[in-house]
Amino acid sequence: MSGVSARSLAKGSAPPGPVPEGLIRVYSMRFCPFAERTLLVLKAKGIRHEVININLKNKPEWFFKKNPLGLVPVLENSKGQLIYESAITCEYLDEAYSGKKLLPEDPYEKACQKMIFELFSKVLTNKKTAFFGGNSLSMIDYLIWPWLERLEALELNECVDHTPKLKLWMAAMRKDPTVSAVLIDVKAHKGFIDLYLQNSPEACDYGL
Amino acid sequence: MSGDATKALGKGSSAPGPVPEGLIRIYSMRFCPYSHRTRLVLKAKGIRHEIVNINLRNKPEWYYTKHPLGQIPVLETSQCQLIYESVIACEYLDDAYPGRKLFPCDPYERARQKMLSELFCKVPQLTKECLVALRCRRECTDLKVALRQEFCNLEEILDYQNTTFFGGDCISMIDYLLWPWFERLDVYGIADCVSHTPALRLWIASMKQDPTVCALLTDKSIFQGYLSLYFQNNPNAFDFGLC
Repeated sequence: MSGVSARSLAKGSAPPGPVPEGLIRVYSMRFCPFAERTLLVLKAKGIRHEVININLKNKPEWFFKKNPLGLVPVLENSKGQLIYESAITCEYLDEAYSGKKLLPEDPYEKACQKMIFELFSKVLTNKKTAFFGGNSLSMIDYLIWPWLERLEALELNECVDHTPKLKLWMAAMRKDPTVSAVLIDVKAHKGFIDLYLQNSPEACDYGL
Repeated sequence: MSGDATKALGKGSSAPGPVPEGLIRIYSMRFCPYSHRTRLVLKAKGIRHEIVNINLRNKPEWYYTKHPLGQIPVLETSQCQLIYESVIACEYLDDAYPGRKLFPCDPYERARQKMLSELFCKVPQLTKECLVALRCRRECTDLKVALRQEFCNLEEILDYQNTTFFGGDCISMIDYLLWPWFERLDVYGIADCVSHTPALRLWIASMKQDPTVCALLTDKSIFQGYLSLYFQNNPNAFDFGLC
């Protein structure tokens, strides 16, 4: 689909024209996990679309007309209708386009998927306390940490901007003596991943 | 069923039996704004239901089998299916029950209502913080400024659309989802926060004309009685006003 690997548009860029009939446009960013949700649904349903990548560190002024919050993903159709918030874009696509339904038809099964999503979102946004178990570090933080440690190695840091509380939690975790004693540095993670993806038997001993 | 005029079940109470066929049960609390949303939808769609009120300060042990954190509202069907999170419960009811649809049919209009509900998301916490601050006789100027800003955002939507309700010229799901907090502005002591937002005040007046909203409106003195007892940590607060 056009645009997925295109350079991002930044401040000073010209706004794109209207979306051609028969196509839907997604404003995205190649490394953003929230935008990836929408790309997955577009792909899974075989929806003809174009992608415009946005430079999230240097946003074009016109982008705030697409989403006043200035976040990706945003959908724009040929009628000029704009839809944002990743979960809302995904549900919209499932409803508006025919073909394979991704959400179950049964109302209870659909509700179950939404309940699981809410639980997952609570983990991501960590609304109430500094740590997942309260105001001090506890078991649950150690159980979750290893996946977040790998975010940096996989170059996904930019998207923790959507979730400032999570960003703060990661910084706090890095200061913890236990976490910093066990932490593997970014270079080592990257080295391992590279060798692992090449199926190298040396992968597990990277750095030794 | 006599509406929600039943005593709240607390620790030591027996778990209610299975939900009879043809009925849906809502676990609720008479003064909770989140449950209020779901009760509005049940009423608006004419869904036969029974209400089990929960004592939120003294939760029955069996209630944690309905919700892992003991929160309300929770819907329970006669097939023992449980649905929680107020918005998910409201959407479920609109999907599962025939008759009047509260959500629009058009996918874009549905998405618009969901985006609007995201826009509203800071209001519940802010109104709660104002209430607590006022009750504890603390300063809440900053909170009220923040709340007014949120109301300005909603005002802009009504101005731009030039419609009576958030979904158009007829009341729909989004209006019911927002309403409970606006009904509470007066009794929480923050009604002045809509002084700069005339379209929102008109919306409030229009909502008060809606038969569903009216049917569920809580008497101001009863609400105040509840609030006084609640802030005195009285476990009987939730039953205030019941005979």
